[in-house]
Amino acid sequence: MKKILSLLVAALMMLGAVSALAEVVLEYPTFQVGVNTAAPVIAQLVEEFNAQHTGQVRIQVEEIPGDANYIEKIKVLLASNDLPPVIYGAGYNLLDLALANDSLVDLAPYVDADPDWKAMYNDKALEVNSRDGKLYGSSAEGNTIGYFYNKELFEKAGIAGPAMTWDEFFAQLETLKAAGITPLSMDTADSAWVTSLWMGALIATSGEAGQAFMAQMMPDDYNTPEVIAALTHIQKMFQEYTTVDAVGGKYENAANAFLSGQTAMIANGPWMIGDFSDTTKAPEGFAEKVGVAIYPEGFAYDEPIQGYLVTRQDDPEVEKAAVEMVKFFTSAYAQTVALENQGMLPASTNVEITQAAKDRYPLLAEFVQALEGATIRTATTQATMYPNLLDIMSAELPNLASGAMTPDQFAQALTDGAARNK
Amino acid sequence: MARRQAGWIALFLLPTVALFLAIYAVPLGITLFTSLFDYRLFPRRMDFVGFGNYVSLFTQDTQFHRALLNNLAWILLHTTVHIAIGAILALALYKKPRGWKAVRVIYMVPSIISNAAVAMIFANIYNPAYGVLNSFLRGMGLAELQRNWLYDPATSFLSVTMIWTLFSGYNTTLILSQALSLDDSVIEAAKVDGASRLQQDFLIVLPLVKPMIATTMIMAATYMLQMFDLIYLTTRGGPGVTTTNLPLLLYKTAMTENNYGYANTIGVVIILLGVVFMTLINRVLRTREG
Repeated sequence: MKKILSLLVAALMMLGAVSALAEVVLEYPTFQVGVNTAAPVIAQLVEEFNAQHTGQVRIQVEEIPGDANYIEKIKVLLASNDLPPVIYGAGYNLLDLALANDSLVDLAPYVDADPDWKAMYNDKALEVNSRDGKLYGSSAEGNTIGYFYNKELFEKAGIAGPAMTWDEFFAQLETLKAAGITPLSMDTADSAWVTSLWMGALIATSGEAGQAFMAQMMPDDYNTPEVIAALTHIQKMFQEYTTVDAVGGKYENAANAFLSGQTAMIANGPWMIGDFSDTTKAPEGFAEKVGVAIYPEGFAYDEPIQGYLVTRQDDPEVEKAAVEMVKFFTSAYAQTVALENQGMLPASTNVEITQAAKDRYPLLAEFVQALEGATIRTATTQATMYPNLLDIMSAELPNLASGAMTPDQFAQALTDGAARNK
Repeated sequence: MARRQAGWIALFLLPTVALFLAIYAVPLGITLFTSLFDYRLFPRRMDFVGFGNYVSLFTQDTQFHRALLNNLAWILLHTTVHIAIGAILALALYKKPRGWKAVRVIYMVPSIISNAAVAMIFANIYNPAYGVLNSFLRGMGLAELQRNWLYDPATSFLSVTMIWTLFSGYNTTLILSQALSLDDSVIEAAKVDGASRLQQDFLIVLPLVKPMIATTMIMAATYMLQMFDLIYLTTRGGPGVTTTNLPLLLYKTAMTENNYGYANTIGVVIILLGVVFMTLINRVLRTREG
């Protein structure tokens, strides 16, 4: 009896070992965890993918809270030729960085072989994910960004609605301040996402030169009148219209200030909409108080961002599994999950804004409608600048805010930083 | 017999020497070698520039100048103020006043907390919105003195410095251990000769624990040459480069600017600084000892 039992145990152990050997594990470091707005969506997609590929492929998430930490981690792994099978390019231009090291897999053969996947790409998505005729990325979310405002606080200050011009906008900031309300959520740490959105909007709406600047990929010269003018406004916004912890604060601080009703406006994309009705982040009923708008002068950010990238791996099975993961994460289904569960706009124009999403997030429908009035559309500054400038933005914004640095000096610091990439 | 013994010694030393070569000597050689190149990983490039990186570092790079200055200031403060605090407390405790053991343990606590936790604690103390420091100032009716302590260029250097300067628990423990091992007869003799308590401490005990003070000073200097986490987790070296030191500049040069040759040049300067400081401290204290 003992012998039989021992044999059984040994057989089971061997089976387990064989099964473990056959399973491909995809290590997936991501910043879309914890309080990140996309965290619930990614968690669901990982769970579903793992369930669909039980015993074959398993995604193992490595949590890296904070975008800046994620970018640094990827750079370290890139330098040591140890990239995970899948990385998320997002708005940080990781594609060019990884491509410079010849670390990416051309997805074109896989996409061409799958009509459903191919249908997910429109011209802009193809452009942003392609280099020299090869396709390296697959996008999951749109990068359409305006700003949110607190209707209750606007009403309290006697403001009727979002500003149509920058003059009107700055008058509103003054009105809010006079009413004892902090007008803006801003940040400087972790690449200063919220602040850079205001900065980009100011540049893009400053005329043809500003639009041309925003259309450039990796600009080398920030010493331009439109950038300096925008920085002058940003300096004033820090000094007069934001919270005391904005300088040195991260996106999370800026978001908390808005979600707690402390500030009246925050620049961000529709992926934040889900947070307004999440009672762990905002008070009950907060979603009803929030309005959404495009920026003054008819501007909105509207360029697809780089999506998921598959990196070269020694094991072809891992590479194949990584392609499968990216296909699933950027499928029409995944984009619909993100849309309906978190209010994230899809990257593909072929994914319909469903009634379920509109019902759950009326703000999303409001934003889509507001977008129709956008006459100027560009990518974000973060998506086009050299990656090292994200660090310089974070380091130097406190100096700009305190007045220790002039807007001209700040522009020069960015220009110097860009030159260090040569 | 002697040859056989030498063979055994060589055999026992072999693993250590091999480990040293693999872990320290070879990377050190690579660091020295690549510091002479414009060496970047993406796109890969390795062009020989001779001492070009060193020339740029010392003649053009204002970020390096500031980081070097910060590092030197921190080394100076850490080897003087920080050690002095530890030594004074050790002198106060070596006569075992009531509760000396409790004081020794309590003062040691900040030194056993991980740097990551210490950084978080101070980030909260200095927070401009809800931090303890600003709340205290408001409570004292000194609201006009409130600052964004870590991110105001006028206060950031001092604020970061205070994170590590006041807590000298390790040094207190080390100096105290040597003070406690001193022969009581020396102190008794001083007492008989009419030395006051202050004279006993500063003219008898302090010179006798000088070797340990030298050791703690070397440790303090090297600690400041390695300091990274406390700065990275509080200010990341900002605003601008106000709180950047050489290790942080090295990290940023390599990781955000992909300039590995230049980063290794900074690494070589850090090593040289370490050697200079250790030699200097040893020589100064040994000379006086002699």
